[in-house]
Amino acid sequence: MKYQFIFPVLLFIPLLILQTTIIPLFSVYSAVPDLILILLVFYAISYGQIFGTFLGFGYGFLFDLITGSLLGSAMLSKTVAGFIAGYFSNENKRDVYLRSYIFSFIVFLCAVIDSIVYSFFSSAELQRNFLLLFFEQGLLPGLYTAVISIIVFIFLPARRLT
Amino acid sequence: MFRFFSKIWKEYKEYILLILLLVISLITLSLNQKPGVKKVRAIAFGTFASVTSVISDVINTAKVQSENERLMRVNAELMLQVNRLREYGILNEELKGLVGLKDTFNYPLIPATIVSKSLNKSQSTITINVGEGSGIKPGMPVINDLGLIGIVQSISEDYAIARTLKNTDLKLTIKDERSRVDGIMKWNGEDLVIVDVPKTYDIEPGDRIITSDLSSIIPIPIPVGVVVRLSKVETGIFNEVKIKSFVDFVRVENVFVMGVVQSKQKNDLELNFYKRD
Repeated sequence: MKYQFIFPVLLFIPLLILQTTIIPLFSVYSAVPDLILILLVFYAISYGQIFGTFLGFGYGFLFDLITGSLLGSAMLSKTVAGFIAGYFSNENKRDVYLRSYIFSFIVFLCAVIDSIVYSFFSSAELQRNFLLLFFEQGLLPGLYTAVISIIVFIFLPARRLT
Repeated sequence: MFRFFSKIWKEYKEYILLILLLVISLITLSLNQKPGVKKVRAIAFGTFASVTSVISDVINTAKVQSENERLMRVNAELMLQVNRLREYGILNEELKGLVGLKDTFNYPLIPATIVSKSLNKSQSTITINVGEGSGIKPGMPVINDLGLIGIVQSISEDYAIARTLKNTDLKLTIKDERSRVDGIMKWNGEDLVIVDVPKTYDIEPGDRIITSDLSSIIPIPIPVGVVVRLSKVETGIFNEVKIKSFVDFVRVENVFVMGVVQSKQKNDLELNFYKRD
């Protein structure tokens, strides 16, 4: 039970290092996959909505603090993302969600919402073409993150992470 | 009463917690400029950057051969340019001496390596491995051999975070190198643009854009980018000019910080001019 809280924190630091050093090298049209979000969705499905919401809040806080982005913006977006991912935490279907392409779909949904909320609160200008913003700041990074999340359910046995 | 609240909590605790955490996040958003918060952030990113710098060193070592070849080529080109500029410099010094002008273009360049990047559509920042200990101060421009990359935002003892040009919070006074027209450039979340440019201004695609002497942040000309196109605004009297930066922010690794900060004396003088007591 205690690992429930230790693993998410232990995995966060190396993933954030990857996110800020290696991952920018693989950007496509300025969109980069969000590894932190994949981890968040995984734990929100595994341990429920409240856990996911708190974890999103914590991840967002640390992300803002460390990367120099506007403090509070990732806190907001990751909290909402963790809350939404928690909706898919159903005891009977948890294994199905974590070990199939549904996981990528959930990651996609959360990543789109996370990106849009983050963009909104980190002062992107909304008088621009909204559809274009939605595509560039929501769909594109969301799709990229969802594709990378396939690795999670293909290569990583879910139980080892929990 | 207690039973009522207990029931509400039991039924809606997920939503109550969500709202609570969102409210805390919103309050945090308003605390960004507090000195205490800035200090905590400086410590946090300083500690984290010391870890990421090790990984960046490894990545940079792997690329060192191709980077060396590129730098040797750039070096040869620069050597030719330096020779030409040296001649211009000698001539310039003579002419300046004649008219008694003071040479104001003598700023130190502090070399730095990017140890981490936070790239997103609206708030791109980079962390570099020089800080207060190397004489870095907030407001100093970060450049490379191609042009302006951004401005130092916060510093710790050994590291600094800089806002890149692709950051909605960074606005710069720039000018068209050919026509000498000034304007305000900013990142709109999608493109680098010069905003509110009167349609009568002489700006054309292909013009080079440099930082303006009018800027209180960077009062020396540094290359910024090239005009890609002018938006076709049918109504109104203003155009929007789209700029392509000279710097590729994804691939940039080694940078220089220019030892120049906002002129407080100039700012005070200009502000006092507008004071009406």
